[in-house]
Amino acid sequence: MSNTTKKNAGITGTEEILVGEGRDFERIRRITGYLVGTTDRWNNAKRAEERDRVKHTLSEEG
Amino acid sequence: MPNKIIKRNGQEVNFDPGKIKNAILKANVRIATERFSEKELEELTGRVVARLEKMKKTPTVEQTQDIVEEILIAADYAKTAKAYILYRAQHQRLREMDDELVKIYSALTFAPAEDVDLKRENANINADTAMGTMLKYGSEGAKSFYDKYVIPHHLARADAEGDIHIHDKDFYTLTETCCQIDLIKLFQNGFSTGHGYLREPKDIRSYAALACIAIQANQNEMHGGQSVPIFDYAMALGVDKTYNKEYFKALTQFLQLMKTMPHGQAEAMVEAARVALHKPVTMKNVDQYGEAFADFLPRHQRENGFEEVTWEEASDAARYAKETAWRETDKATYQAMEALVHNLNTMNSRAGAQVPFSSINYGTDTSEQGRMVIRNLLLATEAGLGDGETPIFPVQIFKVKEGVNYNEGDPNYDLFKLAMRVSAKRLFPNFSFIDAPFNLQYYKAGDYDTEIAYMGCRTRVMGNVHDKSREITCGRGNLSFTSVNLPRIGIQAKGDMKKFYQLLDQRIDLCVEQLLHRFKIQCGKKAYNYPFLMGQGVWIDSEKLDRNDSVAEVLKHGTLSVGFIGLAETLKALTGKHHGESEESYQLGLQIITYMRQRMDRLSQETGLNFTLLATPGEGLSGTFTRIDKKKFGIIPGVTDREYYTNSFHVPVYYPISAFEKIKKEAPFHALTNAGHISYVELDGDICKNIDAFESVIRCMKEQGVGYGSVNHPVDRDPVCGYNGIINEVCPRCGRRAGEGVSLEKLEELRQKYHDVPDYSSLIT
Repeated sequence: MSNTTKKNAGITGTEEILVGEGRDFERIRRITGYLVGTTDRWNNAKRAEERDRVKHTLSEEG
Repeated sequence: MPNKIIKRNGQEVNFDPGKIKNAILKANVRIATERFSEKELEELTGRVVARLEKMKKTPTVEQTQDIVEEILIAADYAKTAKAYILYRAQHQRLREMDDELVKIYSALTFAPAEDVDLKRENANINADTAMGTMLKYGSEGAKSFYDKYVIPHHLARADAEGDIHIHDKDFYTLTETCCQIDLIKLFQNGFSTGHGYLREPKDIRSYAALACIAIQANQNEMHGGQSVPIFDYAMALGVDKTYNKEYFKALTQFLQLMKTMPHGQAEAMVEAARVALHKPVTMKNVDQYGEAFADFLPRHQRENGFEEVTWEEASDAARYAKETAWRETDKATYQAMEALVHNLNTMNSRAGAQVPFSSINYGTDTSEQGRMVIRNLLLATEAGLGDGETPIFPVQIFKVKEGVNYNEGDPNYDLFKLAMRVSAKRLFPNFSFIDAPFNLQYYKAGDYDTEIAYMGCRTRVMGNVHDKSREITCGRGNLSFTSVNLPRIGIQAKGDMKKFYQLLDQRIDLCVEQLLHRFKIQCGKKAYNYPFLMGQGVWIDSEKLDRNDSVAEVLKHGTLSVGFIGLAETLKALTGKHHGESEESYQLGLQIITYMRQRMDRLSQETGLNFTLLATPGEGLSGTFTRIDKKKFGIIPGVTDREYYTNSFHVPVYYPISAFEKIKKEAPFHALTNAGHISYVELDGDICKNIDAFESVIRCMKEQGVGYGSVNHPVDRDPVCGYNGIINEVCPRCGRRAGEGVSLEKLEELRQKYHDVPDYSSLIT
């Protein structure tokens, strides 16, 4: 991890070093039983399925 | 004579009449009754050339071949003409296959995965890497070959047109899906991976390391994932060995310091005791062992005229050894589990393109050693990988059982609680339920082999019509599976249920015929085709096979499964409402799936093979069926208007429903799908942090008779500051948006406050 970060670190403007420019957040999701660290490698159908998911409430009535 | 001829690729080359002569000769050689003489050959060729000469433009290869056909027929050489036409058609097919493959190969080679769905079929293979692409080349080439030359045409067509889907078609002639590995049996006397012999492990750390190696070795011989059904029981034996070792090490240390004697002397004393007391020390017998040691050592020293050790001193040593051994073993077990999780996320299989798809089941071993394994595995999972990332593998399954871990007062209840805490943070473990009636029917208390286990995405292998006395998990797995496109039948039936079942029967028949065709090929393999799976006795009864023996008989313990997806869309097509929306549709859904299961049971009785019904996970499939059906039938609201069909019997993900209602609706389908199933509940991140709420969901699953379930909730991570949790637009810890940088100064500040901020000290100049 620190390797990538080093690459992404650069000096901008004054002396301040910025870390992590260009890096996305990791979003771990479960699809068909397996966890995937990034949805980049999901096919289109899986991405659509994840987008459509609604949260389930914990109320007793349906 | 023409000067030039145009090849298929458009290139003009010099005309050579010898090629025409040669083609006619090739068609003629196999026809005994029409064998041409050299003179006849020359003459026929001359006639073709004469016809070509009359053409105004440069002739093409295709035109030339047409003329050859005509000349042969005109000269009344029917048989040779037929042979020539067949030869031409065969080459045409080969060229088409090449064309298709070339298109696929160039997409694989030149387009990034981002742009090609084909490259994202399996989310855990990175098709942008060299080995990932190599794997895809092989896979696409194999599929193309099997479709044209191996799989009977009507079955290949049903698959291509989307009536059915043959899963893992690229491995059609090669191997089986998966296996549940009995590590206890495998480790006894050591094993060989084919590249070296590994001795029986003697420490929990080597137990865990070898578990990874076994999973990896087996994955390389099968096309699905690998599962360890009894992880806690197997690793407990390693804990025993470490404990025994640590106990004697601590005894030696204590005596050395207390008596200020040389290390060698202390060691000799302990060794004498170890020989005399005979049996190994365990967490269970440690107190009696300590007493025996305290009795033995002073006497032994006295009788041999060695340095005196009092009973009190020996007792102190034993007490110290007991405490230290426990602590050191616990530490070693944590390290072992931490390493296992790290290994299973980083080690490669299948030419380096994949991490092994691994699953481990645990939760029911109530021995102190087993509990130590479970607790430390959960803690290591909770801690995450090196930078605090959530581990993707292994899939972890906590087995829930009344009287073992389900209720307060059960010996492993604390571990069930811990499992839920970890799952609320890391998405694993999932939960399986031994008390579900269809699982409980196999359960025999005290026989770990009868505790239901699940493989990764959902596969379940337990019942056994081939051998009723072997209804067990270890050494068995799925052979192959094929799914029915259920929504299509719903569309085609047009509300007519009689027609629906007619079509359903036809499609099931296709699946079964295809599964049996594949099974026949699988049965043609020999034990030597599987140096690990069969060679090391991992598959049930394979230890009885010689290298050259057929695997046909032992494979019969495996399952052949017919799956389905999109029950929701099927019901929409039939009634306008899915099973979450209407009780009537729900009953119809149950009826359809019950019918499918009955067909599997009947088939099992008739064939003696384990035909089972699978709630298909989908993977790339749900998109594939939907795409074809959209083209075929247009956009039908609630049926083909999305990019996917709903996972198996699930209530659609977009439909608002309470967690409890969803579980209640889906549970009866678990009882019907004996090849495997899973139910999910999507929880809000905040609810998830409330362990009581989480537990209410898991308990509801158990009470309703779910076999296997888990809770989904968002797990986000900022790789820059290491924050784990839910991130909307802005990271709550460091305040950056996606793509923004954070000042090194700020990160250093955060690092003072949070232990999981990555270390950037090397960037400070």
